[in-house]
Amino acid sequence: MNDTFREKINSGLGKAISGFSAGSFIASTAFISVCDAAPDAQAVKSVTPKENKNSTRTLITSSKNRPNFLLIVADDLGYSDLGCYGGEINTPVLDKLAQHGVRYTNFYVSPTSSVTRSMLLTGTDNHIAGLGNMGELNAPNQMGKPGYEGVLNKRVATVASLLRGNGYHTYMAGKWHLGLKPDQIPRARGFERDFSLLVGGGSHFDDQWNIEWQIPKAPYTEDGRPIEKLPRGFYSTKHYTDKTIQFIEEGRDDGKPFFAYMAFTAPHGPLHVPNKWLRRYKNRYDEGWDGIREQRLARMQELGIIDKGVNTADRLWFLPRSTSLTPALRVMLGRKMELYASMVEYMDDQIGRVFDYLKEIGEYNNTVIIFISDNGAEGNDLRGMVAGQVGSLGFLHAMNNFAENGHNTIGRKGTYAEYGPAWAQVSMAPFRLYKGLLADGGTRSPLIVSGPGVKSAGGLNKEAVLHVMDIVPTVLELAGVQHPSTYKGREIVPMQGKSWVKMLDGRTQSPRSSSDWLGWELFGNRAIRQGDWKISWHYEPFGSWDWQLFNLAEDLGEQNDLSDKFPKKRVVLIALWDEYVKTNGVIIGERSPFERAKKALPDSVPEFDNYPPVRGMEAIPYKKLVELMSGKTNKQGGNSDENRK
Amino acid sequence: MKTGNKYTQLLTVFATVAIILSFSRQTIAVDDGARAYWKGRDGTYGLSFQYLRLDLQASGTKQFSPGQYIYANADTEASLMITNLAYHTTLLSRPSSLSLAIAGGDIDVDVNVRTPLQFIPKGIPAGTTFSQSSSGFADPSIQLDVNLFGTPPLKSGVDLLNYEPTWTLDVATMLAFPIGKYDDDKLVNMGLNRWFGRIALPFKYHFGPRTPGYMTSLEIIPSVWLFEDNDDFMGQELENDPMVQLEAHITHDFTPSLFGSIDVLYRGGFQSEIDDVEVGHDVDIGNVGFTFNYQVTDNLAIRTGYSTNLFGDHELDNSLFRVQFVYSWHKASENMKKLVSGH
Repeated sequence: MNDTFREKINSGLGKAISGFSAGSFIASTAFISVCDAAPDAQAVKSVTPKENKNSTRTLITSSKNRPNFLLIVADDLGYSDLGCYGGEINTPVLDKLAQHGVRYTNFYVSPTSSVTRSMLLTGTDNHIAGLGNMGELNAPNQMGKPGYEGVLNKRVATVASLLRGNGYHTYMAGKWHLGLKPDQIPRARGFERDFSLLVGGGSHFDDQWNIEWQIPKAPYTEDGRPIEKLPRGFYSTKHYTDKTIQFIEEGRDDGKPFFAYMAFTAPHGPLHVPNKWLRRYKNRYDEGWDGIREQRLARMQELGIIDKGVNTADRLWFLPRSTSLTPALRVMLGRKMELYASMVEYMDDQIGRVFDYLKEIGEYNNTVIIFISDNGAEGNDLRGMVAGQVGSLGFLHAMNNFAENGHNTIGRKGTYAEYGPAWAQVSMAPFRLYKGLLADGGTRSPLIVSGPGVKSAGGLNKEAVLHVMDIVPTVLELAGVQHPSTYKGREIVPMQGKSWVKMLDGRTQSPRSSSDWLGWELFGNRAIRQGDWKISWHYEPFGSWDWQLFNLAEDLGEQNDLSDKFPKKRVVLIALWDEYVKTNGVIIGERSPFERAKKALPDSVPEFDNYPPVRGMEAIPYKKLVELMSGKTNKQGGNSDENRK
Repeated sequence: MKTGNKYTQLLTVFATVAIILSFSRQTIAVDDGARAYWKGRDGTYGLSFQYLRLDLQASGTKQFSPGQYIYANADTEASLMITNLAYHTTLLSRPSSLSLAIAGGDIDVDVNVRTPLQFIPKGIPAGTTFSQSSSGFADPSIQLDVNLFGTPPLKSGVDLLNYEPTWTLDVATMLAFPIGKYDDDKLVNMGLNRWFGRIALPFKYHFGPRTPGYMTSLEIIPSVWLFEDNDDFMGQELENDPMVQLEAHITHDFTPSLFGSIDVLYRGGFQSEIDDVEVGHDVDIGNVGFTFNYQVTDNLAIRTGYSTNLFGDHELDNSLFRVQFVYSWHKASENMKKLVSGH
């Protein structure tokens, strides 16, 4: 990297960091203005394939029927939430999409939102693209360093920029989370039209509060302009859908293909649902997380998502057996999952509106549709992090905006409910842990791809190990656009992802060989996957402060550390980790949100089905006990209805 | 544990909010009250102490005497203390409440102009002014209220958590026992010396989530009062037609601890006959008032209200002021609080 470039990076980083302080945010939001970024087409000359050989410029193919792209990203959606991945949540639209397309079981993202999005839109590693850490959580030793700008930096060009410069309409509706300033917002990073929430999350309704107390009012832009006030009756999922349809409709006269990025904020907390959907899953989850998770695992086996006999994750060690809780408490905790499920189904319903519209205008069959989640399901107490310290500014923010959290009010405006680690582990079945962490529960996502060029309709691909960085190279190849080495006169880094085109059209099963590998690092936790092998390093008690080795072919739940059994494999993978650090400029933060987890949580111990060795953890009604004693039944455990009486 | 605290709070709040009942059925000019028919979890008790102050001036020839407190051309002042014990349970798979009311106090009446002869006690010349008073216990009453539609049985905490009312319809029957203090020489008595009762069809529409601070309701309670004949009304036989009553409230939570209500009460009918001769006119009284209810603790609420006649017969001015203390409890809630507090 030359010095000039380094200066630019550092300068950008300083701005990015300041963007997360309350005072400077006021200034930074004021800076958001109409940012009519110079049409990228002017910056990137179209050339023929022949001319493009060894060229740094992008390429337009001569095809008149280049596909449209609809990239749909759910926010904090779990791996097994969709019906087509074994979930009990009603998702007929996405299930149907899976019937027309292909589901993939080994698709990886980053464990948090902005980090994934940085790779999703650029095709390169987050430590390169500016999100080496979440901007909100940069450690002191990361601040000011290249790759840790906290926003999408200028070393990369987004897929939207490249497509827009090559004859595509580029639209975005939903969550951005990659920068607040005029040169960082969607309009400046390649999106011709946008309706964007610039930060990581907030109210899904028109009251517009942000999760972060430092930025009390959530900043939105429409076509690069800051939005003073959301329209009355705004609900995120519905509005993003409306905008996507509007953008496509208003841009289709010229016959150009489109790239539409639907970045839903559902089902990210706060769990908010339109009133009519509040009780759609009433009492569906009263039985508790253990039973629901078992049912999901069984369905996943039926669907072939997981193999029979594979080791799945234990219930998280710090959670109680759900059957040991009182029925009333189960109802109260179950309601949160009800809301989550309603959010997911509502999103599915809205996605159906877009599909219907595309069919109506005759573009559905010419649209490549990609559906993913941005990270694992949310099991952290984000609300507690904001509002947990009584008397703090975060607490004041909560008092002003989301103080109400009664059993019958959660899900409505002015509330902030999350469903917590117990339900997150259900959403992430069969994996261990959840969002923010580098067990597969934090990084595995559903992936459905459908559309022109996608063979094996209804198929399930369990072989390919895929990464969110692969999406840009795939889209560019399908669009006939080559990734350039310079963009608007500046050097940009090459993509690290691998195109799926050969896999989609059936020529290969996977874009990666068994020797290819993937790497992750976030908040000091780290992981490498090569083939079926994975090593991970986590802060205690999520890990052991040391590398652990797992074989995912047998142990999806990352339960059995094989370090002692396969020490050489461990060494090989650690060497890959070193390579990952070197290649991507990883700086391990000297502070981490998880550094005190050991004090907050009990030690992790293995779960045994028959321990404690008494009668399990369910109450036995006396009537049932009499039956047991008289030998009329040998079934143990209580019936929840009877217990209730 | 955090969750446990929330649970305790929820349960006790629900139990408390749902228990506020009516305590005034044997006393004229008093309505059941706002949120009187809201349901609580089975096993919830409510104990209420209510102080009432009634002032009434009747002019012209109007009279109204189910409680023998109101007479044409009379000024009445009454101070009453009413105690009510209510219990929530399930009957025939329907959420129900059973309540017992006992009242006592004193009443003073000044009759000053041309009162019908039938109402004049022996020894008092017609057309003169006289005063009478009575003190002691009134007729006690019991009431059974059973929900017909809209409310599931609330047998457990789970049922209560799942209960999200929209509209509900109850049937409530009240019966008063003629054992209150009665002197057959007096115009004014605490007891009525006859059986009487009431059948009501309380209707409620609930707006908003069932969480303190968010609740709004429209309540309409049509009812009919029925009276046995009093065969010893100063040596005469007093007979009354049924009295129809329509009570309505619009209630609204201002905060989780405070709700207010606009109250309307209309009564009609109740033509009196003494020794088979019609006396006076039908009742036609419309009162409007307001109520505020403040939840002091999980168990204790204080309610106060005022009402006066704003429509109907303007020759019958009245005003009612009341203060009520309601203490409610449920064994499960109390035990939970013990455990959570470590006692």
